[in-house]
Amino acid sequence: MPFGQIAEITGADAFQLEAADTDQVQQALYKRFPALEKRAYAIAVNKVIVKDNTMLSSGSVVALLPPFSGG
Amino acid sequence: MNEKKMKDIFMDGPIPAGFIADSIQKHSTKTNIGAHSIFLGQVRADELLDRKVAAIDYTTYKEMALEKMHEIRESIFAKYELTCMHVHHSLGTINAGEVCLFVFTSSKHRKTAMDACEEVVELIKVELPVWGKEIFEDDSYTWKTNK
Repeated sequence: MPFGQIAEITGADAFQLEAADTDQVQQALYKRFPALEKRAYAIAVNKVIVKDNTMLSSGSVVALLPPFSGG
Repeated sequence: MNEKKMKDIFMDGPIPAGFIADSIQKHSTKTNIGAHSIFLGQVRADELLDRKVAAIDYTTYKEMALEKMHEIRESIFAKYELTCMHVHHSLGTINAGEVCLFVFTSSKHRKTAMDACEEVVELIKVELPVWGKEIFEDDSYTWKTNK
């Protein structure tokens, strides 16, 4: 699920990917959307931000979160 | 996570002054309160490269934001002796001059209410997955960054 300025690169809608971990998700996305590689964002797996490569299971929800700017 | 305990902090459009007044009024029955602290965030007409911000369009990752807000709420209640706390954040297009964030903390004493209010505002800015797109008067835009 892409959000904010990241969604402008990928399109706003969520999409499905086959990937064993978050590194694989990133690699697949960079192939599809090369502009993404230069962007700053955090990754959340099932609504929790992860810092390192994280294993995924079937149905895991991976979100790409650009820097927050609420309030 | 108990879904029922999670409050929906988001509202579409700006936060009306009447809503804030009503919220204050509702606390008159809670006579153990001695101090309220209120923070209101207002959309500022920033000028960038000769363009003026006309509005901010707010979006969120709602499921994650509500869980995060629940965590913030729990941590604040664990740290401060609050009577109650209310948070409202706008989504969608909010024009310059309109209120987009309302944080309201109440306690027996002023210091607790003020410190808690400040901490909640800071945590919201840093931890809530919310994004503001600053829309200029000529319809061009830039993504807001929190300082």
